[in-house]
Amino acid sequence: MFILGFHFPADMGNNVPDEKVVEKLDNSGVDFDSVNEIKMVSESHGVKEELSYTKKDTFMFKALVHYVKAVASTDYMIYTNRYQISELAKRLDSDDETMALCKKFDSMAQFKIVAA
Amino acid sequence: MAQLRQIAFYGKGGIGKSTTSQNTLASMAHYFDKNILIVGCDPKADSTRLILHEKAQNTILQLAAEMGTVEDLELEDACKPGAGIFSPDTSGGWINCTESGGPEPGVGCAGRGVITAINFLEEEGAYEEEGLDFVSYDVLGDVVCGGFAMPIREGKAQEIYIVMSGEMMAMYAANNISKGILKYANTGGVRLAGLICNARMTDREYDLAWALARELGTQMIHFVPRNNIVQHAELRRMTVVEYSPSSDQAQEYKELARKIIANDMKIIPTPLEMDDLEDLLMEFGLEEEVLEEEIGKSAEL
Ligand SMILES: Nc1ncnc2c1ncn2[C@@H]1O[C@H](COP(=O)(O)OP(=O)(O)O)[C@@H](O)[C@H]1O
Ligand code: SF4
Ligand SMILES: [Mg+2]
Repeated sequence: MFILGFHFPADMGNNVPDEKVVEKLDNSGVDFDSVNEIKMVSESHGVKEELSYTKKDTFMFKALVHYVKAVASTDYMIYTNRYQISELAKRLDSDDETMALCKKFDSMAQFKIVAA
Repeated sequence: MAQLRQIAFYGKGGIGKSTTSQNTLASMAHYFDKNILIVGCDPKADSTRLILHEKAQNTILQLAAEMGTVEDLELEDACKPGAGIFSPDTSGGWINCTESGGPEPGVGCAGRGVITAINFLEEEGAYEEEGLDFVSYDVLGDVVCGGFAMPIREGKAQEIYIVMSGEMMAMYAANNISKGILKYANTGGVRLAGLICNARMTDREYDLAWALARELGTQMIHFVPRNNIVQHAELRRMTVVEYSPSSDQAQEYKELARKIIANDMKIIPTPLEMDDLEDLLMEFGLEEEVLEEEIGKSAEL
């Protein structure tokens, strides 16, 4: 199956452990330290909101940097990836800022994302 | 040559099978150089129009009826190369298009018509075309009578993607289609390869789709958001991929295409009993709990 765009072989079943996803991120060759800020714009029913995320020590940060550097071909955020990032961050992170971002990610709004 | 994969998009009518399949197959051809044969298996016969830039293709059953018999039908009359970037004359993959069509309403079995059409295509060598990577069926799945299960039963479609949404009827249909797959999994070798959530954009739709996928033992391979650009492209009888390749929605179909090409998760589904399905719907607020003593009670008493 697929999580954050990574392929996990079928024999791992449909419940891949979070550690395996983190392992893929760590081995992706992306330089997470090179980014200090992730900027996003969400849009829902014509209402735009600008967001900034700088919590560098979280799973969320790693996943977002990976998305920008290794997945995205435009600034558009693919819904599936965004929902999956949120799903994992809710289990792996615990700080308020990240939880607040997860809540926004879980909506139907559209997100644009860039590394600042 | 890599082995030919026979995939199918099943789902209830109007859920977005033809739209999702054509956009995804367009991405498989355009971005990943895959060569594809589309076999439309819905009497509505709109499984190929966005690839052909046409209103509706002549169906195999229609052409056979005009000829008198399917034996007199030629492959080139029933199978058309895609237009624009999907033609074999342009770079990237190509798409060939066919529609089985259906019987006159009220007459004959739609499922049998589908099999007649598929057998015709096989006999005429449509599946042996040099370089063909995928055959894709677009099949109506509201009614899992013997008829619409035909492509599964006869071992034609091997790898099934169910297009669904977080709406009750779409969930019921997905579960029913899984029952059909289970029934023929051992005889025909058919497998469930994933759910595709063609979103209605309701609350917790992603979670609901995944909850059903887990129960069925499969994956929710991709969540396709609703986007008006799909309709804009459709007005020009085009896929989004061709209409606006740099659009947001094209990125979605490209990612789904990439995943289908790489997908190796093909399972025998474990469909839910009706009670369990209702519990699941209730958990996500799609069905409301009713007090036992209120059942059958008039509102005016
Ligand atoms: N992701 C989407 N965003 C916007 N409109 C969509 C989307 N998917 C499907 N539609 C619209 O829904 C309608 C029904 O879809 P269709 O593919 O014909 O359904 P089916 O083949 O399952 O009967 C189409 O007119 C199409 O424009
Ligand atoms: S088997 Fe299905 S498709 Fe065939 S006639 Fe009966 S209901 Fe229609
Ligand atoms: Mg259709």
